[in-house]
Amino acid sequence: MSARTDVANHEGTRERAARATTSLKTVTTRTQGARLAKVGGVVVLTGLIAGCAKNAPQDTFQPRGTNAERINDLALPVFYIAGVVGVIVLGVIAWTVMRYRDRGQPIPVQTHGKPALEIALTILPALILIGVAIPTVGTVMALNDTDDTECVVNVTGQQWWWEFDYPVQDGCMPGGITEPIVTSGQMAIPVDTNVLIRGTSRDVIHSFWIPRLNGKRDMVPGRVHNLRMQANEPGLYAGQCAEFCGLSHANMRMEVAALTQDGFNRWAANQLEAYESPVEGTVAADGESAFVTNCSSCHQVNGLEAADGNPIISRPDVGVYPGAAPNLTNLMTRTDFAGASWSLLREECRKEVWEAEPDQFTDRYLEGVTDDCFNEVDLREWLRNAPAKKPMYADPTKLAETGGLYRGMPYLALSEDQIDLLLAYLLERK
Amino acid sequence: MFTTGSKFLIGASAVALLATVIYGVGQDGVLGTIGLASATVGLMALTALNAILRDSNVFLDDDAPVENTAAAQPAPTGSVWPFGFASGAVVVAVGLVSYQPVVVIGVVVLLATGAEWTVHAWAERASSDGVHNAKVRSRLSNPLEYPIGGAVALGIIIYGFSRIILSLGKTNTTVAFFVAATVVVVVGFMIASRPKLGSAAVGSVMAVGAIAVVAAGTVTGIRGERDIAEFETTTIWQEEALLHPEEYAAGAAEGKHPAGLICESPEEFPEADERASETVGMKSGTYQVLLSESGTLDFDPPGEKEAGAVGMVIPRSSTTNVIFRNDSDEHRRLSLDLGRPYTVTDYESEIGNLDESAPPTQICTTLIEPGGAQLLTFKAGEPSFAYESIPNPNGPPGADGFWFFVPGVDTAKLELIVP
Ligand code: HEC
Ligand SMILES: [Cu+2]
Repeated sequence: MSARTDVANHEGTRERAARATTSLKTVTTRTQGARLAKVGGVVVLTGLIAGCAKNAPQDTFQPRGTNAERINDLALPVFYIAGVVGVIVLGVIAWTVMRYRDRGQPIPVQTHGKPALEIALTILPALILIGVAIPTVGTVMALNDTDDTECVVNVTGQQWWWEFDYPVQDGCMPGGITEPIVTSGQMAIPVDTNVLIRGTSRDVIHSFWIPRLNGKRDMVPGRVHNLRMQANEPGLYAGQCAEFCGLSHANMRMEVAALTQDGFNRWAANQLEAYESPVEGTVAADGESAFVTNCSSCHQVNGLEAADGNPIISRPDVGVYPGAAPNLTNLMTRTDFAGASWSLLREECRKEVWEAEPDQFTDRYLEGVTDDCFNEVDLREWLRNAPAKKPMYADPTKLAETGGLYRGMPYLALSEDQIDLLLAYLLERK
Repeated sequence: MFTTGSKFLIGASAVALLATVIYGVGQDGVLGTIGLASATVGLMALTALNAILRDSNVFLDDDAPVENTAAAQPAPTGSVWPFGFASGAVVVAVGLVSYQPVVVIGVVVLLATGAEWTVHAWAERASSDGVHNAKVRSRLSNPLEYPIGGAVALGIIIYGFSRIILSLGKTNTTVAFFVAATVVVVVGFMIASRPKLGSAAVGSVMAVGAIAVVAAGTVTGIRGERDIAEFETTTIWQEEALLHPEEYAAGAAEGKHPAGLICESPEEFPEADERASETVGMKSGTYQVLLSESGTLDFDPPGEKEAGAVGMVIPRSSTTNVIFRNDSDEHRRLSLDLGRPYTVTDYESEIGNLDESAPPTQICTTLIEPGGAQLLTFKAGEPSFAYESIPNPNGPPGADGFWFFVPGVDTAKLELIVP
């Protein structure tokens, strides 16, 4: 502004001033335009590059399950159609704005309505929508099919982890599942098998979503919702709770481990193996009694017995608001813990599992957590002070709302020595 | 004569004196009487002072300004507010001797009419022009009168409607509102088709409608809500039997109800088993437990049932809804026996301390007619393997764990497995 005034004063004549102003204006527009183009370019490029991310375990555009493929096959064409329509509409708007911009011309004759055009512009979108609707309805129906189920798993969400239990059945593997299996965080399934989830929740609404295998489904307390899990190749498939469920929603993750059929049989057999107490006199044996004293009230370890020979039954409903805590019988057969948020494997080993080729994945996964690969750090921190690691409503002074029940695992004031014993004991749970 | 101020003070003194006498005689509380007497004396002193000073108003004896100023020109208009205010006072008085909520209504009326009256009186002195005064009043009052009045009117109409719906049965409500809707459409159509209709005519139609709703609401409100069948009384029967066994047995001996636990009885209990199958609102996303014609019990989960299932499996501590469908040709109830609790002393050894005398944990539906259905909602806090080797008399012979069963049908057993 001041530059313009200066110029005007200097040159002295109106005309010159006017010309100078115009040229100044063009200069500003040009630099602004260049800057805009630069910023826009960076934004677009970032978007494009992000779209190429290799390590995107929750990418719906890399489907590995039949249902995820169905969703992808529907979403992409619809996206392309919508894109074309969007480009046409924006193009016409831009052209109209430029072509009929105000150049001081007289206002043209005003008309009202053009039936032919209006009818065409009603029918055309209707046709497009019908064209989209037909495959959509078909896909929705196909996604909800359950009558070709080959294996059933109960999935239960709670703040902030998922439990998986396998009911006794003829399916899932040759010979079937003979005793119920309970695990958490990671759901093992046989590859190429139609697994039916019967899902519910123990507290608030959660949503189960493994993007590369299928769409998401809300899990609602008091109701049972179905969702198909099926993977076309062995591997670990990540997901996370997709319905905001409170403080640690972001740490409520889950994974599906798709194993070869043979691998799944081995996995199931291992889950059902009889409990073996640690060898007497070892650190782990002391860990067992520390576990019974400090942890058994909430965590079930199947087969664990009290001194009098009676089985120890956990009662998480006495201390925890959703009434459940993870079953730790085979903790070290999973590779993550606490809502699949931290790894039980050290970084290199974790990478090995995640990046294993499909034909090698099953064997690598079934090794579980070996002594060499055990990531002690995170589990130690968890036992030292769980609520410090994962935000949970576990402050004993603030439990009025739940009648004294914790949401999550509380701080247990264990000594480092106790933690050593417990870690040794837990490392044998596989 | 007396000035306004002295009139007020004379009245106040008289009331205080009266209060002193009534309180002193009636309640004979010394402190209160002294307080009231002091107030009386104080007020009397003020009265005397004011009478001598004549409200300290130098113009009081000068008639001229009273007659001549424009603002003093009386332009009084009719007003309902004193009447409303008086009614409010009466309502308060009635409330004091009857129900407290009535006092609140009275106070609200007093406040509302008092405020209106104040504004009205104030506006009347704005000028000597009545029309202008009315405008002044409206400008101040309408922004409050319209929204509050509208809300109250709406509230009355909604409340009236709710009384009508609560009083009429399901079918009658449908009929009544079908008729009402038709009338509204017809009247609306008639009004719309006569654009020249005066606002008075439209207003009176509306008034008739409003009065009809209020009248119908009052009548049905007085008549009370229709009988809404009571449910969930199986739990009450079960608890009665367990908590007060003697009274319960006495009741059974007098023939007031069948003996035994309701969840183990195939017989009809008074009240609990009436019109039971009206409660199934939930139609999907639940397990179904079906009693077949041949007397077997089976379950049907959402989606596909697992092949080779040995029982119904539900997660621990998870609220579970089960729709019981009675496909037999008798009235039947579905019961669930979650075992006899053991005394929890120490989780290490709790399983050893089975309390033989403890009552079973049972829950059941009411008696359902053939073809009927009802919802059973429960939660199992403990796993069924905690009850391994603890016999469950409601399961098949020699069984342990948790069992669904149907009293009176020995073949109807279904295991509930909680891992
Ligand atoms: C008051 C009940 C309670 C007690 C006592 C308790 N925990 Fe936990 N624990 C929980 C809950 C609840 C979770 C799930 C927290 C989450 O992931 O959000 C949990 C999670 C865990 C996990 C992760 C399991 C998985 O599969 O993700 C481990 C490991 C664990 N606890 C170990 C222990 C040990 C060892 C002790 C005894 C020193 C112990 N806990 C005592 C309630 C408890
Ligand atoms: Cu969640």
